[in-house]
Amino acid sequence: MNPTRLTVAAGAAATALLLAGCSGGGLGGGGTDPADVAPAGEVEPREISWLLSRPADGGVITTMEQLADEYAAEHPGFELNLITTPDRPSYIQRLETLAAAKELPELFDIDATPFAQKLADQGRMMDAEALLTDIGVHDDYRPAALSYQRFDDGSLYMVPFEFQVELFWYNTALFEKAGVEVPATLDDFPAMCEDLRAAGTTPIALDGQDQWPLERYMAYQPFRASGNDFVRDLKRADASLADPVGRDAVAWIAALGEAGCFQEGFSSTGYADAQALFTSGKAAVYNIGTWELANLATDALDAGVRDDVDYFTLPVTDGAATAENEYVSPSGIGMAVNARTYDPLVRDFLEFALTRYPELYAKTGAISPTTTAETTIPDNATPLYERAVAEADAVGDVSAMPWDTQLDPTSNSRLQQELTLLVQGDITADEFVTTMDATIAEHGAAAFE
Amino acid sequence: MRRERLDVHRSLNGVFVGLIVVAQVYPLAWLFLTALRPEQDFASSNPFSLPGALTLDNFARAFETGNLGLNILNSLVVTFGANLLIVALGMMAAYALEVLGFRLRGFVRGLFLIGIIVPVQIALVPLFIDYAAVGLLDTYGSMIIPLAGFALPMSIYLFSSFYHYIPPETYEAASLDGAGPYRIFGQITLPLSLNTIVTIVLVNSIFIWNDFIFANTFVLSDGLKTIPLGLQNYIGAMGNVDWTATFAAVCVTITPLMLVFLVLNKAMIQGLESGAAKG
Amino acid sequence: MLPHRSRVAVLVFLLPPLLLYGVAVLLPILQSLGLSLFRWDGITPMEFVGLDNYVRMLGRDDVFWQAFANTLGYLAICLVLQLGGALVVASLLVALRRGRELIKTLYLLPAVISTVAIAFLFRQIYSLDPVGLLNQALDMVGLDGLQQAWLSNVSTVLVAVSVPEGWRFTGLYMLIIYAALMAVPAELEEAARLDGASRWQVFTKIRFPYIRPVWVTTAIMATTYALRGFDIPYLLTNGGPGQASELVTTYMYKSAFSHTDYGYASAISVFIVVECLVAVGLIIALLRRKENA
Repeated sequence: MNPTRLTVAAGAAATALLLAGCSGGGLGGGGTDPADVAPAGEVEPREISWLLSRPADGGVITTMEQLADEYAAEHPGFELNLITTPDRPSYIQRLETLAAAKELPELFDIDATPFAQKLADQGRMMDAEALLTDIGVHDDYRPAALSYQRFDDGSLYMVPFEFQVELFWYNTALFEKAGVEVPATLDDFPAMCEDLRAAGTTPIALDGQDQWPLERYMAYQPFRASGNDFVRDLKRADASLADPVGRDAVAWIAALGEAGCFQEGFSSTGYADAQALFTSGKAAVYNIGTWELANLATDALDAGVRDDVDYFTLPVTDGAATAENEYVSPSGIGMAVNARTYDPLVRDFLEFALTRYPELYAKTGAISPTTTAETTIPDNATPLYERAVAEADAVGDVSAMPWDTQLDPTSNSRLQQELTLLVQGDITADEFVTTMDATIAEHGAAAFE
Repeated sequence: MRRERLDVHRSLNGVFVGLIVVAQVYPLAWLFLTALRPEQDFASSNPFSLPGALTLDNFARAFETGNLGLNILNSLVVTFGANLLIVALGMMAAYALEVLGFRLRGFVRGLFLIGIIVPVQIALVPLFIDYAAVGLLDTYGSMIIPLAGFALPMSIYLFSSFYHYIPPETYEAASLDGAGPYRIFGQITLPLSLNTIVTIVLVNSIFIWNDFIFANTFVLSDGLKTIPLGLQNYIGAMGNVDWTATFAAVCVTITPLMLVFLVLNKAMIQGLESGAAKG
Repeated sequence: MLPHRSRVAVLVFLLPPLLLYGVAVLLPILQSLGLSLFRWDGITPMEFVGLDNYVRMLGRDDVFWQAFANTLGYLAICLVLQLGGALVVASLLVALRRGRELIKTLYLLPAVISTVAIAFLFRQIYSLDPVGLLNQALDMVGLDGLQQAWLSNVSTVLVAVSVPEGWRFTGLYMLIIYAALMAVPAELEEAARLDGASRWQVFTKIRFPYIRPVWVTTAIMATTYALRGFDIPYLLTNGGPGQASELVTTYMYKSAFSHTDYGYASAISVFIVVECLVAVGLIIALLRRKENA
């Protein structure tokens, strides 16, 4: 074959493959109806896979491995293949390529993003509400844990495996030295930062590298002003950052930047470095969830600060629409069940695993997404551990939704970039509002048609 | 007088070279030192200061959480497989282009040039769909094929520029003896290419050993994970990386590469030099 | 060329490499070209949009243009470091009497270390809070006024992410240039020196013209690698702060895998291919002309 003809042939093959790739994109693709959670038939043991994004030696994986072993002992031939990619951006790349090639495994982790919503709309994920009800565990779950996984229309397609509350950890000694109090309202933050700065302390340790921690701050004011309504409208371009709620939020972020709240050069500080700033007593405040209890509330914590660490929850604002015990309480990335490969075996295994999971998981010292199991406090815990766990039991029903799972991805990455610039003072609040409103108008409106 | 100036020059040269060497070696030294540092010491004090104490804990953790042996084995398989293709096919193409010659060789050379130029990221989604269609996903092949494919053009280029300078008389003599193109390839071109082969293998091994993007896209099962994927085992909740364990693992995993590197170094440097001096 | 070549022999030698190359490289490129005419998120059916992705890229996307400008800056810095640095070090090495072999080996070491570790190291070096190595050094020589968070300042970040990439592979280019320099006939230089030429003149009049062909090769290699540069900027700053260190490649990767905008990402990759072709064309044209003059 001469090279020209080879090129032509390759081109034809390319087109054919692309067409093959996009055909069969209709409902279900020959799989189970998403609502048919109890299909008839025998349980035939085989290997199933779970594509997940969780720490390789974390509580979820060790617990599920143990349960899979127990199930396999009763059902020879069964195996649960856990494929984890803890680094979230790499995980998402992998998930998306698998979804594009229609090769998603039986179980896969996904947040309640617009991308997940599309998969659900195509009937590619099982209805988790029906599944959990059928298994008989639905009512065991904390309402906040389930609501974190729900789409805007209230439908549920992901099963939570953890429950966390995000707290503001602070160093009492540094607060005392600077003569500052725990902020009573969000609007006290800039003043708190200025006083801490004046005392020579870095006010807040922030992991700017991973972007989402700063984006949390963007969500706080609107959540206090209007619950999750504002972001739900904003992402569809039905609300604008120029609206009063948006303006206040943007002005607050700019004020945090002006007050020097975050360490210099936060945009390139990684997760571990930010935490080290706090645990080594250099920074006074650190906003992180209870997944870090093992590092912040046990004797793994540096002895130099161990007795000085305390926490407060997200402060309210004047006339706040949400209660003091309502703030960010995520239930982690959720697990979706692939409708195409769903069969009696998958259902049987999930029933086996989900009914036993909470108790085993709580024994690892973590907080179960259900109310049915009591967390085992580790032997080396500081008193803070137990208090934080109790805090999780006391949260209200409305959970503040992190914006990174709400906005369409293009607007989201733009928001993350512009937020850094706003805090650093590289752009003004007005420029921020103009850029973001334009971006959301182009991409958000289209993503949520 | 002149002698003295020359000496001053020489010692200045020496100092300058010394400084540069420090800049080149420091990162590696830092990496090994950090891997030997207690976790707490690393978190709480200046990362550039000398360690307060030395420990092997990080290595213990690295082996416990990860599956380093298997990762190294997989990386070896992939590196070996890809190099085999890169060298064999690169030599063949260069031989056809430079020694045999044919009418459309300008066109074919241009076609290969495109491969030197395009970024690998653009191939990910199409390749994934293609591999899924032919059942190649999650195999060694799914890593080896694109790695070899994208490295092939540079290999062809290096072999070509080397073959270009083998004097035609060498072939003519053999031809007169009645040797055909296959025998000439086996008896003349191949033995002469040894240095270039070593060079190409080493340069490519560096990239393949550290490849993350193809492995992360095409490999799913634990049994096939290469080293860069294995390093992910040290990432905790929400991206909290156990850096000291990661560095310990990095030290373990680059050691085989460095050993080969040091052993073959002389041959490789000769290869690069001879290829380049003539190219 | 061989007198006894045959059509069959050409095919035997050419087809296997062409096959691998076609399947692994050309096919996906063609598929990308096709994809760039569609809007596709990977899961819903593809929608044909004609040239709209290109119109958006060239006409409506301010991030793309900033990324392009950054890429040119990144390219310039990498070239200065890799070609300039390699030439300087290679010249120094040629003048050196002992230890050449050892130094050459050491010089290649940074290329071996995994990118993840390199990125982490440089993040610490550039850091200001806590004070990193670079800022400590500035303080020690009394330039503490220059101290800053190098990766967070929009005006320094591009240089800061380019340096590690440039530095890492300098050794490879140095080796190639060094070899070429070693091949410069000693008699030529000696004759020039006897004629009273200065070191600089020897370099510009004799050595450099002699190694020009090698110089073209290294220039092409360094340029195309830099235009494809990806992992260090991606790991160090992820393109930030804002878009200050976003490169066309990182932007393409994000468009594909964080925005699931495969059609648009394909349009960007087509742009990268064109950009590289133009760059290579320019290098060859420029250096050839000089050669002929």
